[in-house]
Amino acid sequence: MLQVDSVSFGYRADRPVLGDVTFAVEPGSLVGILGPNGSGKTTLLKVLAGAIAPSTGTVRIDGRRLSEWPRREIARRVAFVPQDTHPPFDFSVLEIVLMGRYPHLGTFALEGPADLAIARQALASTGTSAFESRPFTTLSGGERQRVVIAGALAQSPQWLLLDEPTGSLDIGHQLEIQELLRRLNRDHAVTMVLSTHDLNFAAALCRDLILLQNGRIIAQGPTADVLRPDTVRMLYGVEADIRPHPRAGHLTVTPIARVR
Amino acid sequence: MTRTLPAWRRAFMFSVWRKAFVLSVWRKAFVFFLWRRALALRWLPAVIIPSVLLLGCSATPSRERAAGASAPRPQRIISLIPAATEMIFAMGDGNRIVGVSNYDRFPADATKLPKVGGLLDPNVERIIDLRPDLVIVYATQRELLERLDRAHLPYFSYEHRALPDITQTIRAIGVRIGSADRANALASSMEQSLAEIRAATAALPHPTTLLVFGRDPGTLRSMYVSGGYGFLHDMLEIAGGTNVFADVGRQSVQATTEMLIARRPEVVIELHYGDKAKAADAEKDLAVWNALASIPAVRNHLLHVLVGDEFVVPGPRVVEGTRELAKTLHPETFK
Amino acid sequence: MRSIRARLVATICGFGVLLLAALVIAPVVGSTSISLARAFDRSTPFADNPDAQIFFVARLPRVLAAALVGSLLAVAGVVLQALLRNPLATPDTLGVSSGAALGAMIAITFHLDVSVAGVSSIPLASFLGSILALSVVYALSSARRRGLSTMVLLLGGVTMQSFFSAVILFLQYLADFTETGRTLRWLMGTLDVGSYAPIVAVLPVVVVAFGIVSTLSRPLDLISLGADAAAARGVDVLRSERLALISASLCTAAAVALAGPVGFIGLVVPHLVRLVVGSDHRLVLPASALFGAAFLIACDLVARTAFSPLELPVGIVTALIGGPFFLWLLLRAAR
Repeated sequence: MLQVDSVSFGYRADRPVLGDVTFAVEPGSLVGILGPNGSGKTTLLKVLAGAIAPSTGTVRIDGRRLSEWPRREIARRVAFVPQDTHPPFDFSVLEIVLMGRYPHLGTFALEGPADLAIARQALASTGTSAFESRPFTTLSGGERQRVVIAGALAQSPQWLLLDEPTGSLDIGHQLEIQELLRRLNRDHAVTMVLSTHDLNFAAALCRDLILLQNGRIIAQGPTADVLRPDTVRMLYGVEADIRPHPRAGHLTVTPIARVR
Repeated sequence: MTRTLPAWRRAFMFSVWRKAFVLSVWRKAFVFFLWRRALALRWLPAVIIPSVLLLGCSATPSRERAAGASAPRPQRIISLIPAATEMIFAMGDGNRIVGVSNYDRFPADATKLPKVGGLLDPNVERIIDLRPDLVIVYATQRELLERLDRAHLPYFSYEHRALPDITQTIRAIGVRIGSADRANALASSMEQSLAEIRAATAALPHPTTLLVFGRDPGTLRSMYVSGGYGFLHDMLEIAGGTNVFADVGRQSVQATTEMLIARRPEVVIELHYGDKAKAADAEKDLAVWNALASIPAVRNHLLHVLVGDEFVVPGPRVVEGTRELAKTLHPETFK
Repeated sequence: MRSIRARLVATICGFGVLLLAALVIAPVVGSTSISLARAFDRSTPFADNPDAQIFFVARLPRVLAAALVGSLLAVAGVVLQALLRNPLATPDTLGVSSGAALGAMIAITFHLDVSVAGVSSIPLASFLGSILALSVVYALSSARRRGLSTMVLLLGGVTMQSFFSAVILFLQYLADFTETGRTLRWLMGTLDVGSYAPIVAVLPVVVVAFGIVSTLSRPLDLISLGADAAAARGVDVLRSERLALISASLCTAAAVALAGPVGFIGLVVPHLVRLVVGSDHRLVLPASALFGAAFLIACDLVARTAFSPLELPVGIVTALIGGPFFLWLLLRAAR
């Protein structure tokens, strides 16, 4: 159980990025944090991952405050997938995924056969086993994102946090990732919290949504309840048509016009 | 005579001047690149240094150039080179000098004259301000020569390489300033004294000698010694010593530990400049040589420190310098 | 893919053998030919045995110094490239070498003659100069509450470099030409340490720096993927970056104090090593340490035998090799 209570944060004292954010995430759910650019989604995820300490408020996992956990302990439970990964050096795909084992090893420990097996399994779950020895930089955007997700899976996490997982991908790769995440959530019981500004992606994948505007939550709950024309208008200043799509099986959002 | 400035090694300066003034054409670029981006563009000196070394080793004879119409007996001489200043004073014409460089220290009268800057950056305004009718410069200072041309100031330029060039220059200067007789007498007396020293040491054994004119105190690193060329080398040979680096045809050589051990000098003479207090420190510093115990000079305790300007200035006092070297090498013969 | 353990063992053994070969061959080869048998002949007293003297006093300290300096610079290069997330970073990027150059120049210009534990004033001053530069860069980059911004670090380092170079230029005008000449020679790098004292003096710094680096090998991998991702995986990013900055600077400071600024090792060696072992820092770091040592021993061998009996400063050899290599790297990266 992930509990966030009245979390506020600002890089500078006069400009808060998050203001009084409170919500809870049940294990096994697939939650989307939806909001326009600059609404604080990435910052919120970093707070959840323990990478940033909130100015006020607490984050609790299974009842225990995040600030009380040693960093590595958090990392063994919570994995974070950043939006872009641009390594300056030529790591191979397997090396990138193996880095996910870091929280489980000591300072001078080297990965053993068990770690190698977990890494290969993670590659298999994301369908990237074929790329194992290839340099990471030679992969396409979708393939890279899948490898980075595999790296997060190698952490054997219970919670997976993803920052704009399809931000720079075309619709083909978007659907790939969508399918992957759905499958991981359903078959491997990985709880996911992801941030996105893509309404359709959020509608297609997430069962629950949190709408974030200027660092504050303006609505949260099941997707069908939260994703409404008035909330979309408030969030994006856009008049949109929201209706369930018979073939896709989920809500779709069609923007109509810009309103003030 | 006061020697209050920290040590400046004119001999090394002179030996490097040649390289420096070839560099002066590139100097601005060289300084800019080396100092401002020294550590990023370190390949640049790799290009410049070999070409500088090549030029430095070329054996262009010393030549004199004079320019512009001028009086046969100049009355207002500016000498930018300490050696030339000493030469003119020794000829008895010191009263005709109106300006000297910042590095002039001898004779005492010279220090009272107005100073017009150093060799790398002479103050041309001040030179012009003193209204000279002759400026004595070093031949490789091309930029300065151009400026003097533009200011229509006559100049006398020379270069020297080895000991004979000194007396040749004295005679040339003497002709130029109209004191040929006195200059001739000075030069001849110098040549006579040197010949006497040479004769006195001719029959004596010439020990292999290392002539050091620079090193970092407290260590044997960055040691600069006289190579087989230049006035220091000639002084050493006259004084009855064999230069252990005689085969290297350069004025200065950076001697590494391996070279020193391999060449096994029988005598080591360190040249220092400054006051007597410096001499005491230098004597104590000789202890660093104990690291090279296999060198005969160290084993037989034949390590000497000599202090004085006569080893740096290629002027009339080289005779005293040679005599001191001879006394050090052959104490029984020269009391 | 073989396990990381197997690859680590193979890497250390492979490069270790290379270094061992260099350590064995280099002291035997040089501009003077010596016989190992005579050098190790115990029957002749050490002081009378020039072969032993050359081997143990001239060459062996030199080869050891080359190994140490090569190792230090290579490791510093790897760490800084990871810290700045830029494969073209070098130990000079953050201004630590310029600080060292400034320290050395101050010692030379103002004739500071202090000797501590067999280490003379110039290495001491250069070490202090590097520490000063490091402190400024560190303070600059720590001023931000959120921690070490690499952009600020880079800008701060480049600014420090320019500032120090400007001060050096200023000092150059104060100095006379011999002092400038000495500084120039020092800037080219020389490994002729002449004794074991400087090596021993620098060992504590080396141990501390390498000790810190060894704990950073995996965090550097993770940080290079992105600071947020690394933090989320349990890396204390701020602490790791600070330790990386300090250890890389200590390595550079020690290397420069020992031999003057020797360039391109920190750039060339990590890239050559990555071509062989890949990018995992747990392999790259030990491999760079070993290969950097062997590489500089080889460069020094060339430096002291190519123009026998004269010696090239080792910095020129590394620049002549490193310059073209650097250009090739740039071309490759541009494609």
